[in-house]
Amino acid sequence: MTPSLFSNLKSLFEKKSRREAIEGYLLIAAGTSVILFFSIFVMLYAFYLSFFSWDFLTPMKFVGVENYVKVFEEIWDGICGGSPFRTQFFIGIKNVLFYTAIVVPTQTILAIILAVFANQKIKGISFYKVSYFLPSVTCSVIIALIFVWLFQKEGLINYFLSSMIPGFAPNWMRDVHYALWAIMLVAIWGTSGNLMISFLAALQALPQEVYEAASIDGAGRFKKFFYITLPLLKPMIGYSVVVGTIGCLQMFDLAYAMPGPGFSTTTVVQNIYNTCFAESKVGLACAKSFFLFAVIFAITYAMRRKFRYETT
Amino acid sequence: MRLSFRLIMAIVGYIVLTVVAIIYLMPFIRSITASFMTWEQAQRMPPEWIPDPFTTRPFEQILGLKYFPVWLINSVIISASIVTAQTILASMAGFAFARVKFPGREMLFSLLLATMMMPGIVTLMPTYALFSKVGLIDNLLGIIIPGLCGASSIFLMRQYYLSMPQDLFDAARVDGCTFLKIFRHIAFPLARPALGALAIYQFLGSWNSFLGPLAILKSIEKFTLPVGLLFAFNRAWYVEYSPIIAGSTLAAAPTIIIFIIFNKYLIKGIQLTAGKR
Repeated sequence: MTPSLFSNLKSLFEKKSRREAIEGYLLIAAGTSVILFFSIFVMLYAFYLSFFSWDFLTPMKFVGVENYVKVFEEIWDGICGGSPFRTQFFIGIKNVLFYTAIVVPTQTILAIILAVFANQKIKGISFYKVSYFLPSVTCSVIIALIFVWLFQKEGLINYFLSSMIPGFAPNWMRDVHYALWAIMLVAIWGTSGNLMISFLAALQALPQEVYEAASIDGAGRFKKFFYITLPLLKPMIGYSVVVGTIGCLQMFDLAYAMPGPGFSTTTVVQNIYNTCFAESKVGLACAKSFFLFAVIFAITYAMRRKFRYETT
Repeated sequence: MRLSFRLIMAIVGYIVLTVVAIIYLMPFIRSITASFMTWEQAQRMPPEWIPDPFTTRPFEQILGLKYFPVWLINSVIISASIVTAQTILASMAGFAFARVKFPGREMLFSLLLATMMMPGIVTLMPTYALFSKVGLIDNLLGIIIPGLCGASSIFLMRQYYLSMPQDLFDAARVDGCTFLKIFRHIAFPLARPALGALAIYQFLGSWNSFLGPLAILKSIEKFTLPVGLLFAFNRAWYVEYSPIIAGSTLAAAPTIIIFIIFNKYLIKGIQLTAGKR
């Protein structure tokens, strides 16, 4: 091969790959710029806003880290037992942490149990799958509107409950002690079926050889479940716990559409939303949202390390 | 012993699965039947399941509301625009991320994936602030524009294109086709199954979305169905609850029907990703 021919080929190749790169950029340009603009760019803008006092209308006023100081003061005030009217952000965090601590384990365990039952030769399995999946394709606001009706004192849910537990008929949505529980029940109802289908798929993908080997070694059914199935499901459990936690910490729709009395169901995002759109304290709301972001990021990071699952 | 345990498991399995299925379906059955009842009958305890007398008055009441059809149209406009834009933009980008080599491809793609874990509220407020300067508040475009493309959609399409045989595209390259042409004539038409799944996911997402429309849409005639129904409920436009139930049933009907028709597709998609995890 003569040097001139080689360099010709090389330049041809370079030209071709440069053309390929240009075409690649053209293809991704529109979609990628929309996403990056409405995520990275607006996030940086929110970070910028969090150092200002602004109400959307009057000129912005630079206040340094004052908004962040206010966030921590509100949390500290809440820990010290300050008035609920001044510490709604703290109440939101408290409610959401409690909500997450109940909803995530319950829906995950329920999904695993259902998946184990469904993981045998079941006739009409697609009927069960459809009915379990239905809540998660329905709008959460519509679900809330229906459940507000079902949770009435004289409603359907109390009718069934009081037939099982005589005399148990709380006025769910009007009672400070029960409103958040009602929302939790709706949330568990809404997500566990969807999760169950993921767990069923994971169960069916487990290697059968391990179970055969365990049978030869004389392992019983329960031993097999606790020493083989659960460890093998660990990545899937980790994934659903992390995704469930991220979702629960940002809970908004249900709490907004089926509110309990006072601050009994206030969530963090609800408080941020009100700070921004009702009180028009944009900077403070942005600072609060970064606090939430940091909490979510930290929890996700810690859980990922613990479960060591592979993200897709 | 072995057989009897299997038998017990099967029986218990059927009982548990059926009871849970009834619990999951109950609110749907209850609201559909109650939509055809008089409010007096829907309130009765023990609950009655067969409308007697059969009435369509709840539907008439909610449809008689001047705004309900407007909300429906708004929801349709938003969903149709988002589904159309997403299928085109996400498949273009997904194809490029899977099959076209360009500098910075991997870095850009991981950046896109990282944006998926950002809380919605973090981006909503600055978006609102920007939109308030350009007149996109109280405008359906203010919902549509941020929804034109999504990182999860690009991810889905990229996975699909990676699963297609490389030879398909190589043959066209040898024939001197540009990537833009390959996309238009080969990659896009062949991606129909993935595009279908993407369209359904995006329809469900945009039809059911609440936080964004709640913040951005201000006047009653701009509301989407979820925002409007909640508004009507909170303003207590009805003394009776049944029009709200009928309206909820109507608003949820498109998603439920689409899900029942395409459920194999959607559940398959979940199973695929769950298996890979």
